Amino acid sequence: MGPLASGALPADPVTELNLRILKLENRLQRERSARLQAEEIAERGLRDLYERQRQLELLEAITAKANTERMAGETFSFAIDAVCRHTGWPFGTVHLMDDTDGRLKPSGMWHAADAEKLKPFIERTQATRFASGEGLPGRVLAKGSAVWIDNVALDPTLPRCHVAAACGLHAAFAFPILVGPAVCAVMEFFHRDPQDIDEQLLKVMAQIGTQLGRVIERQRAEEKLIHDATHDPLTGLPNRLLFSDRLERAVAMKSRRSGSDYAVLFIDLDRFKLVNDSLGHGAGDTLLIEIAERFSTVLEHAGDDDMLATLARLGGDEFTVLLEGVVDTGKAVEFAGRLLQALSRPIDVGGQNIYASASIGVAAHTDDYSHVADVMRDADLAMYRAKSAGRSRVEVFDRSLHEIAAARLALESDLRDALHNREFVLHYQPIVTLEDGSITGFEALVRWKRPGVENLVSPNEFISLAEDTGLIVFLGDWIMREAFATLVAWQEQGSATGEMTVSVNVSPRQFHQPDFLEKVLAAIRDTGIAKSCVRLEITESVPVVDAERTIEIIKALRHVGVRVSIDDFGTGYSSLSYLHNLPCDVLKIDRSFVMSLEEREDGHEIVRTILDLARNMGMDVVAEGTETADHVRILKELGCGSAQGFFFSRPIDADAARALLDSRVQAARTIAQ
Amino acid sequence: MKGVVFNLLEEAVVRTFGNETWDDLLDDANVTGAYTSLGNYSDDEIVALVGAAAAKLGKSNGEVLQWFGEEAMPILKERYPTLFENHQSARNFILSINSIIHPEVRKLYSGANCPFFHFKEGDGNTITMGYESSRQMCDLAHGFVKGAANIFCEEVTIEHQSCMNHGADRCLMEIKWAH
Repeated sequence: MGPLASGALPADPVTELNLRILKLENRLQRERSARLQAEEIAERGLRDLYERQRQLELLEAITAKANTERMAGETFSFAIDAVCRHTGWPFGTVHLMDDTDGRLKPSGMWHAADAEKLKPFIERTQATRFASGEGLPGRVLAKGSAVWIDNVALDPTLPRCHVAAACGLHAAFAFPILVGPAVCAVMEFFHRDPQDIDEQLLKVMAQIGTQLGRVIERQRAEEKLIHDATHDPLTGLPNRLLFSDRLERAVAMKSRRSGSDYAVLFIDLDRFKLVNDSLGHGAGDTLLIEIAERFSTVLEHAGDDDMLATLARLGGDEFTVLLEGVVDTGKAVEFAGRLLQALSRPIDVGGQNIYASASIGVAAHTDDYSHVADVMRDADLAMYRAKSAGRSRVEVFDRSLHEIAAARLALESDLRDALHNREFVLHYQPIVTLEDGSITGFEALVRWKRPGVENLVSPNEFISLAEDTGLIVFLGDWIMREAFATLVAWQEQGSATGEMTVSVNVSPRQFHQPDFLEKVLAAIRDTGIAKSCVRLEITESVPVVDAERTIEIIKALRHVGVRVSIDDFGTGYSSLSYLHNLPCDVLKIDRSFVMSLEEREDGHEIVRTILDLARNMGMDVVAEGTETADHVRILKELGCGSAQGFFFSRPIDADAARALLDSRVQAARTIAQ
Repeated sequence: MKGVVFNLLEEAVVRTFGNETWDDLLDDANVTGAYTSLGNYSDDEIVALVGAAAAKLGKSNGEVLQWFGEEAMPILKERYPTLFENHQSARNFILSINSIIHPEVRKLYSGANCPFFHFKEGDGNTITMGYESSRQMCDLAHGFVKGAANIFCEEVTIEHQSCMNHGADRCLMEIKWAH
């Protein structure tokens, strides 16, 4: 035992001092190592704090960028650089979700500390698409959260493991950029050395992913707003705004002599309103969508002719195409022809085959435009001409159209005054029984004594305008009253028998007025005409608008004794099913079929078929446009009951018609005597 | 000057000359001697301690700093082994000083005023190192380089081509490896 243990013994002072020194040195040593430990702990704390601080700065920088930057791509680039700079990881990139196949595609955005050395890896990365579960990005896509790989070289299932290792890259991590639960991009980073997972770093990266997702979300919302503002919601095509914008650019560039040629096609679907009204708006929409698709298919081949084409829907049934490139009028017309061709196949709308057609007007840069509105106006005028020249046509604008348009405007203005100024007159064409040549009735036909015009204006020149402007409703009412009153006068004067009829044409617009039936009855009441003397002629387009209502009204008219004729039979839309359902009394064979009796070999067959049809349905038949003795003979042979046409008489004014009747009465009396 | 440098100096002195010598140096330099690695102390104190050591050992300040740098390196390695882990050679280690070691220092001492070293890699086995610091302690850098070479069992000679201590704007040292 040493002196220390025998504390009771008196100690040698030197030894005692040495002992104390030893103890003090031990204590010093303890304190010293405690200090070192404390310093180490503090250093670790400081290091962690520093890391956190830096990570927060990184997150802050990226958040700030994400809040101010509109474009996701810019923000991604910034984030990749910032993360690489912050972490010292030498390579970073982002893979973008390709919604067409659900795979991640390369973005072309990357950061590399030593691009030369990493070249094989970068090239491989930029050329690879990752399916879900495939490679590091694919694993993130499958998992929906961050993935860390300590050493890619140790995992041969990674598609890039060899090239990464060859370029000296080992550790890697990746995290998703999320919009809601959906992964819309994956950002990945590689380190030269193998690294253990850094949970703290991944947490920060997850937050970065959320921030970047917000940019995408915002950009998408913004793009959607812009898209919605510039596109037609039904067809997804550019709308008027976007079209005008593109056209404006084309016009401006061309007028500065720096742009390419251009042409505008103004497309208006023929009789679209009828489809819309008869089959409902849903059907109309289906038709528009299908037509937009067919036009789009034509546009896909515009590039074959070195043209850039923009298709837009202006609204309703109006479409436009802007052609840019080496465009001359011929090429534009040819292109328009292809659009018409695209409509040649029927379109299935709710099980019903619809044949659509369009009228197209073309205006080209050659007219030296400086305003969008001028180009559009001219294309519209050309379209209008195409429409009035018989539909399913292409017309090119020329200067004369301006005059035509001006004339039409003047016509419209004059027409408005005509009714008020009593400028309309009625002419009457006799309807004759073929059996004995007796006149059984007249068709009333309107003419216009336009001031300053020598001859009477024929209805062909103003009826469609009256129909368009709605004037037809008033004009039609006047025609009924005038015609009814005239027949009543003839009957009162003994010129016409009580069985004599008068036929009045009713336009679709007039027929579909809610108070049409009342107007007819009022005209009958006011003029005192016998209801059985009244014939109303409607064309096939009337029932197309609203078949059920048409049938109802015809039934109501017949109920009171008024009879209804189908006019121009065979020229319109009528399908047999319509005709079958229409409770009409008379079928009027269109003049074109009567003409065909002499002009076509199968002319007889066609008329015979129509006659059979009418007979089966219990309808009387009147053949229109009967011009020759042969016509009369053949029609008679075929068993047609009545006819009208130049062979018997042109339409004549009321006085002449009455004189004709009187001479017949006189003749009859003479024969009777 | 960071406390860790005082700690390293103390350790180096104590290891070679014992505790007494360190106590004497503190007395001679008239400094408190209470240094923690996390603290920050006046540059004058390190200058005073180096001066005291030079007087005691009969050497120049430069020689003392060179000696200190060389001795400090193994102690640094004991204390911060991770700084050395990823390096296979002194050359590699020295070149990493700006990009790896000083950033590590800044983690502990926010705003630490670390000197910046310019490196120019010569052909084969030389590096020219440029040093610019108000502290003018190129000799300490010299010692560190020497010590680093020792750690990796390499032999270098260092030549001061220009020196702030001799009126130059900056120090240029050529480090040459003997193979």
